[in-house]
Amino acid sequence: MGMQLEHSFTVDASPEATWALLTDLESVGGCFPGATVTEADEQTFKGNVKVRLGPIAVTYQGEGRFLERDDAAHRAVIEGTGKGLRGLGNAGATVTMQLAPEGSGTRADVVTELSITGKPAQFGRGVMQTVSDKLLGQFVSCVESKLAGSAGG
Amino acid sequence: MTAVDETRAPSAEVGRDRRRKEDQHLITGRSRFTDNIVLPGMLHVAMVRRPYAHARITGIDASAAQESPGVVAVLTGDDVKDQQGSLPNAWPVTPEQKAPPHPAIAVDRVAFSGEVVAAVVARTAAAARDAAELVDVDYEELDPVVDLKAAAADEKLAHPDLGTNRSALWVFDSAEAGTGGDVEEAIRDAEVLVEREFRQQRLIPAFMEPRSVVVDPTGEQFTMWSATQVPHILRLMLALTLAVPESKIRVIAPDVGGGFGGKLQVTPEEVITFLVARRTGKPCKWTETRSESLLSGHHGRDQWQKLTLAARRDGTVTGLKVELTANMGAYLGLVTSGIPILGAFMFNAIYKFPSYRFECQNVFTNLTWTDAYRGAGRPEATFAIERMMDELATELGRDPIEVREQNWIKHEEFPFTTVAGLEYDSGNYEAATARAKELFGYDELRAEQARRRESGDRVQLGIGVSTFTEMCGLAPSRVLGSLSYGAGGWEHASVRMLPSGKVEVITGSSAHGQGHETAWSQIVADQLGVPFEDVEVLHGDTQISHKGLDTYGSRSLVVGGQAVIKAAQKVIDKARPLAAHVLEANVDDLEFAEGRFTVRGAGEGQEGIGLTDLALAVFAAHDLPDGMEPSLDADATYDPVNFSYPHGTHLCAMEVDTETGQSRMRAYVCVDDVGNVVNPLIVDGQVHGGLVQGIAQALWEEAVYDDQGTLVTGSFVDYTLPTSADTISYVTDRTVTPSTTNDLGAKGVGEAGTIASTPAVVNAVLDAVRQFGVTDIRMPMTPERVWRAIQEGRGSAPTPEAAQPHFEAGEPNQDTPETEGGQA
Repeated sequence: MGMQLEHSFTVDASPEATWALLTDLESVGGCFPGATVTEADEQTFKGNVKVRLGPIAVTYQGEGRFLERDDAAHRAVIEGTGKGLRGLGNAGATVTMQLAPEGSGTRADVVTELSITGKPAQFGRGVMQTVSDKLLGQFVSCVESKLAGSAGG
Repeated sequence: MTAVDETRAPSAEVGRDRRRKEDQHLITGRSRFTDNIVLPGMLHVAMVRRPYAHARITGIDASAAQESPGVVAVLTGDDVKDQQGSLPNAWPVTPEQKAPPHPAIAVDRVAFSGEVVAAVVARTAAAARDAAELVDVDYEELDPVVDLKAAAADEKLAHPDLGTNRSALWVFDSAEAGTGGDVEEAIRDAEVLVEREFRQQRLIPAFMEPRSVVVDPTGEQFTMWSATQVPHILRLMLALTLAVPESKIRVIAPDVGGGFGGKLQVTPEEVITFLVARRTGKPCKWTETRSESLLSGHHGRDQWQKLTLAARRDGTVTGLKVELTANMGAYLGLVTSGIPILGAFMFNAIYKFPSYRFECQNVFTNLTWTDAYRGAGRPEATFAIERMMDELATELGRDPIEVREQNWIKHEEFPFTTVAGLEYDSGNYEAATARAKELFGYDELRAEQARRRESGDRVQLGIGVSTFTEMCGLAPSRVLGSLSYGAGGWEHASVRMLPSGKVEVITGSSAHGQGHETAWSQIVADQLGVPFEDVEVLHGDTQISHKGLDTYGSRSLVVGGQAVIKAAQKVIDKARPLAAHVLEANVDDLEFAEGRFTVRGAGEGQEGIGLTDLALAVFAAHDLPDGMEPSLDADATYDPVNFSYPHGTHLCAMEVDTETGQSRMRAYVCVDDVGNVVNPLIVDGQVHGGLVQGIAQALWEEAVYDDQGTLVTGSFVDYTLPTSADTISYVTDRTVTPSTTNDLGAKGVGEAGTIASTPAVVNAVLDAVRQFGVTDIRMPMTPERVWRAIQEGRGSAPTPEAAQPHFEAGEPNQDTPETEGGQA
């Protein structure tokens, strides 16, 4: 099943500071609920993420990398693939992130092309958008607290 | 329900609305379904199913599963590839038919989502399921073939080794067969030509009891209990597939909770459980979850149907051409390939088409395989032709019943040989239609429809017609032979006269909820003149009922019931010399009635001798005529001389809310002619249940896959099976034209409701919204689809002002109770 998820959020920090955090994969990875980054360098990362989609709880183990990264334009495309443990099928995502100044802060537009197979696709279809909205909300508050922390320090 | 004027002797059992004798144990918790069976030392099996529609297996790591608590063994395709054989397809429809091998456990490639890649055996069902999740399988994903039309065009391959997705092309042409003219000629000369393409969506049988199998390898024979419709076929096929002597296999179908064709199969899970039991030496059980059932039990329907109907301007039909593309799914199951072919003889239906051509292209995709589902090929045919007759009526601007009547076979024309080469033995379409119209209030509803149309009511009324027939009672063996089916269509029965006067009837028809025990008891009670309660019907165990071809295709009563009658008649014949001996009379002077032999001419009040008394005399065997064997028991194997052709007229009124697309059934009337009726209560049950399944296809059910071949309607949340809350009370009635091909004069009823009802509902919804330029709506006709069709139809036609009363300028709040909400 392929689907596209769109999210936008604003944070009270400059585009530069936001960009620096969002492209620090190890640091930002910890902000994603259920995610653990086990290895990361400038271009790639490895880790796992545990998601509950309606009746299905699935842990994806995988890796990702930057397909595009434009530090000047604050635009990045990240590709990730994961194998669902317990025979639950694979997931793949291509995330396009674009930052732009908005007022005193930064607006981020994130488009995720998601492709999943197996039981999560079968049973989680109806809740995908809701779950991703909720996860993003938690992600954004984590990012905001990190930015606030770094600004303060 | 309305009473039916059937005449019967006051003492006769046949025709009585006997309560079903088998229901008592079912509703008081004494049922014994396969999953209820518990054997000492029994192990449990769970299947590891692949999540992809098409992938190569690159590695399986079962170590974690093997070490999991309670696990006894993990079997992969590699472990069983030399023993599992290939699952059987009993119906190679053409000599050239192509099919991939069909392993029970996939070995190196998986071809549909849900296919088994490993089996885990453990001491408890929960341990087996937990460990199944630990089997780590690596796949290399391949491009799945999901879309049926793309598959037919061979754009990509479901089975690369096969080189094509096209399994077989099956053709019937009336000119070639000598049963009619050349359809191309009819199309060329047509004054009216109706060309339409319809989609038969994929459905899931969704029987109540999930599939379950237990295999006990500890006796001299392997004993398999299975939730199957076909214990006899299963036994033979297991023997052939696994190279085990048939005599070493006993199959038992205990209480089976419905099948609808979905249990007419030899399943991978039956083979796997057998192999696992043989390997472990322990009894093994597998019971599926509902999501496994929806995913991996075979599906039904799934066709594209292209039809061309030629007619004269006066409405007389002159030719019909049918081009089907039928989705086999990933494999050929037991009769997968033959299912659409069963429709080949039914598209012409009750109409006198002088020319006819049927072509069916069977196509592989990477989806769950299809096979029999209630009606099997015939609902598809009936849907298409009944839609086409409405299209023709629309084209001509005439009443749909009138156009049908102009073309159907008149009652005085029976027996009638059709353009497809079948001989319909009896029927009276006029009578059924007249009765249905009367019960429905056809003219009144048409008047109401006109009023609503005129007033631009938000809720529009549509009336749908379906005047169906079908061929059932599968089937004359020589006809099956001519269609390359791998078996015959006979049925077996035995009648055993017990010394105490009780009677045991053994039938090869394996009931799974139909009420055979009751109906067979009624038949035998009448035949032998014994009380209904004294007849015990035994079935569903190959060691008791050693011979049979089981239950499907509305065959039980007209084939299996007839076999019972033949066996009972043989019992009477065998008793006759003994009766003559006891009564000291000439055999030729004996009469048998109501369970007693009497001597013709010996006067009223003579005692004669009862059949059950003779049974005791035979048991003692003290004084038998010279040379008589001490037994009255008899067997019969009956091969039907023809199919059975029930028919009927179904009328449906649908109210469609034109603003929301929501439709509501207003009335449903069906008048079925199923010949003579053994038990009207059972017949009504079959009709009501059948109607719901057919209506569900029209309105609610569809198996939906995403573009990667994942079933997204994999639970009853998404696969919207109706409940009684979704349905209305149906008005059912019958007309009776006895069949001339069996002693009962009965015709099959198991599938009639399903076959007839789908087009009646679809025609009704379309009839309500055609005025907006709508010509077709795909099934299931969800509110969204209906709404979209209305919007699109209106887009291409000028918007009738009266249909939009809400928005007329300067007249706010104009809705009145008369125009709002439908009912005036």
